[in-house]
Amino acid sequence: MIDCREMRPLAAGYAAGRLAAPERAEAAAHLATCAACRERAAIEGALDDALARLPRHRAPAALRRALEERLAAAIPSPAASPPRRRARGLRGWGAALAGACAAAALIVTVARLPGVRGHATGGLVADVVSDHLRVVSSARPAAIESGGIHQVKPWFTGKLDFAPRVAFSGDDEFPLVGGNIGHLDDRKTAEFLFKHRLHSITLLVFMPDGLSWPAGPGKRLGRLDVDEEIARGFSVLLWRDQGLGYALVSDVNLRDLEQLATQINGG
Amino acid sequence: MRTNAIPRDEGRPGAAGPGVSPSEGFGREALGHLDALYDHARRLAGNAADADELVQECYARAFAGARTFVGGNLKAWLFKILRNVFIDLRRRGQPQPVVGELDVLDGADERELLRDDRELDHLRRLVAGDIEAALGALSEEARAIVLLDVEGFTETEMADVLGCPVGTVKSRLSRARTLLRERLKEYGR
Repeated sequence: MIDCREMRPLAAGYAAGRLAAPERAEAAAHLATCAACRERAAIEGALDDALARLPRHRAPAALRRALEERLAAAIPSPAASPPRRRARGLRGWGAALAGACAAAALIVTVARLPGVRGHATGGLVADVVSDHLRVVSSARPAAIESGGIHQVKPWFTGKLDFAPRVAFSGDDEFPLVGGNIGHLDDRKTAEFLFKHRLHSITLLVFMPDGLSWPAGPGKRLGRLDVDEEIARGFSVLLWRDQGLGYALVSDVNLRDLEQLATQINGG
Repeated sequence: MRTNAIPRDEGRPGAAGPGVSPSEGFGREALGHLDALYDHARRLAGNAADADELVQECYARAFAGARTFVGGNLKAWLFKILRNVFIDLRRRGQPQPVVGELDVLDGADERELLRDDRELDHLRRLVAGDIEAALGALSEEARAIVLLDVEGFTETEMADVLGCPVGTVKSRLSRARTLLRERLKEYGR
């Protein structure tokens, strides 16, 4: 039979009727002989009752609406035909991508956002969004935690076959929190991780040759042409500068990303 | 047994599971847990604005990573994502203790709380505001496990949400509830 010490962690579960059969039987046998543990079980029961009186915070209506919109944007539309893309030869991946592209195309069609084009660069946009998701979803996203750009940039030396040029070292509004090595299609990327309030922003810097880049002029941002896209609810900015490709991805809005892009380009 | 990955492998081609992007059914079911997630986020974050951000990011990851959910308890999966979002967004840059307060063998659950014949009566008389204040005075770690228990998760589900063994959940929960009882003695007198 279990003793008082073994009974202690079981008291709450017993009071709540949550123990599995063998433990419940052992606890009941002990409680039948021990007044102190019976009292403890009663106290645990009273604590459960007290906790049950906690008021519940209901989600605000605006949050519910925003999430319903996010869901609507993420569900692939059966009417939209997915754009063509490089074959990957991996089951599931292509379908996931087609869904994402269809959702992106749908948003583009409905929202008619200025400067946004969805089709030609669907593959590249989906890839950078996936990379962003991988970065923000991992528990330890940054291989190098940032003490500033002068700590992050040298870390890339020897890990990449190019030197990422980033003129912005973060500020209070867009702190630089770290860096990482990522992959985009067949090449390595430098990943810079910024924050904007509680939002995560990923900057990818990579060699752009051979990637399906947007055709035609994008939006003029300082000295650069920036292509603006929305995919799966994420804002994406793409641009090229002095032989390097840049992608900014986040769930913040395009205007905030433009502001950060301007700073990254030293504007 | 297949276990649900939390959506952190998004973008890695080999990680593709059964569903692809969220079906409407999946999305609706996920949104059915919105109030519970928001309440938990609100108590973790301590204010409405941060809770809002946490829940938005949680659903963004859930919808984007719908294919990593292979069945089982969707609510527990969502709580696990929320927990990771909370850790990612709120604690980044802050040093993390290797051993949490609830894992320290300080004898908190070994020694009896000071014998108090009035505790049972006291607990029964507490009003919601007392409990809320005492809970708010606990560490994040202790508050989270008490609230997951209140939410009705099994120990196995809590272990999954918190990423620790079931045995650890048992001892942490027991210690957290002891700490809460200690706090509650200061309220409602």
